[in-house]
Amino acid sequence: MNLLVHTLSSLWQVVLVGLIFGAGLPALFALGMRSLASGGTDENAGPTLIGKAGAIVCFAVVVIAIIAGILLLTADFLSSSFGINLF
Amino acid sequence: MTAELVVLLVVVVTALAFDFTNGFHDTGNAMATSIATGALKPKVAVALSATLNLVGAFLSVEVAATVAKGVVDLDSTSGEELLIIVFAGLVGGILWNLATWLFGLPSSSSHALFGGLIGSALAAIGINGVVWDGVLGKVIIPALLAPVVAALVATVGTWAVHRLTHDIPEDHRTRGFRIGQVGTASLVSLAHGTNDAQKTMGVIFLALVAHGTITADAEMPFWVKLACAVAIALGTYLGGWRIIRTLGKGLVEISPPQGMAAESSSAAIILTSSHFGLPLSTTHVATGSILGTGLGTKSADVRWGVAGRMAVAWLITLPSAALVGAICWGIANLIGGLPGVLVVFAILCALALFMYLRSRKQPIDASNVTAEWEGGNKGTASGAHTVSTDPDARPAGSKGRL
Repeated sequence: MNLLVHTLSSLWQVVLVGLIFGAGLPALFALGMRSLASGGTDENAGPTLIGKAGAIVCFAVVVIAIIAGILLLTADFLSSSFGINLF
Repeated sequence: MTAELVVLLVVVVTALAFDFTNGFHDTGNAMATSIATGALKPKVAVALSATLNLVGAFLSVEVAATVAKGVVDLDSTSGEELLIIVFAGLVGGILWNLATWLFGLPSSSSHALFGGLIGSALAAIGINGVVWDGVLGKVIIPALLAPVVAALVATVGTWAVHRLTHDIPEDHRTRGFRIGQVGTASLVSLAHGTNDAQKTMGVIFLALVAHGTITADAEMPFWVKLACAVAIALGTYLGGWRIIRTLGKGLVEISPPQGMAAESSSAAIILTSSHFGLPLSTTHVATGSILGTGLGTKSADVRWGVAGRMAVAWLITLPSAALVGAICWGIANLIGGLPGVLVVFAILCALALFMYLRSRKQPIDASNVTAEWEGGNKGTASGAHTVSTDPDARPAGSKGRL
């Protein structure tokens, strides 16, 4: 019974975080690509300025999330080797 | 050289062999989608994954002398007795990894190791050697939940990605998502090195403690870290092409947007699940994610026959590895001491060689890993979702692969 409660409470957190990062980030990446392609339907026309800015913001968030992921992976290593506590 | 030292050496070599099989068995978890969509050339993909596994292994910190903590309870044993239990468990894990690789089935290496250890502990110590609550909570429940959670996340991700990018030019779309895919796949590789090499380090550390070479509170010797990191990286570089093929081509046909959604889902779940107290197996998550991208794409067919075979392999991984582990312990115990260990080691080598030779009859390597998937549903299902019916399109060696 205890196991069931524990599992369920872990499960909804994993699903929630999975949806935010696992589904949200590729969606954001897709939004960035869409933004970059806006106004670019004509062969030679480049993306509009707003489109470009929007894309940069989207990609930046994705890159920051990936860096955060790497830091999360290395958190134990950093804290035990260099005494840096990130999380 | 004393007999104890020889036993220790055999255990260490076997542990590294397990680490090696762990590497090639799991290459596909990170790289199958990137290879399938052409984001990376097969050789480049395995080289990248191997490098990141190597780096990841050095990043791992494992200090406690525990192996499969909370799943088996080996505290009541010590010395050579303990060494032989661990050895038999490792042999069970390796043989099961090789057998599933031969059939191109992505099963969990952790389950194979746990299974082997559970079997040898049961045979040696009896019912008290296994922590049954731990088996349920740490192995069985996560295994049932992982593919469902991953499939859900990947389905939503794939749906969102398709929804947002369906009207942008195809070449832009493909190029962009290939880049994103490589990034997320790299993250999965790094996470794999950090988590999985650590398991073998723990096994070798335990063996060294059991032999009396080091004490339980010693630092992890550098050579152990180095050896484990190199073993898993070499295994990854070898590339479990048979498994990569099943994951990348067999389950669903993957496009770059799907590939990125799958790897994002895998990366997010693998990186965060253990922090929430529900450690999910990389293999189960990766497979669930790939399945999910098929479910999230309107026109895509999921080959349920292939998925069914995988599910069966998952179900029987733990008991099968346990059975092999128990038999190996029985043989080693019957003969006793060093000769027993050497006999089991010889059996391991013979069976490994047999499976390798068997695999050469239908070789799958970097050259034909992304060839068209033919048939697809042999055996388990009705065959309703077959693609590529052109017999001329069959690559050499793809027949009877699964």
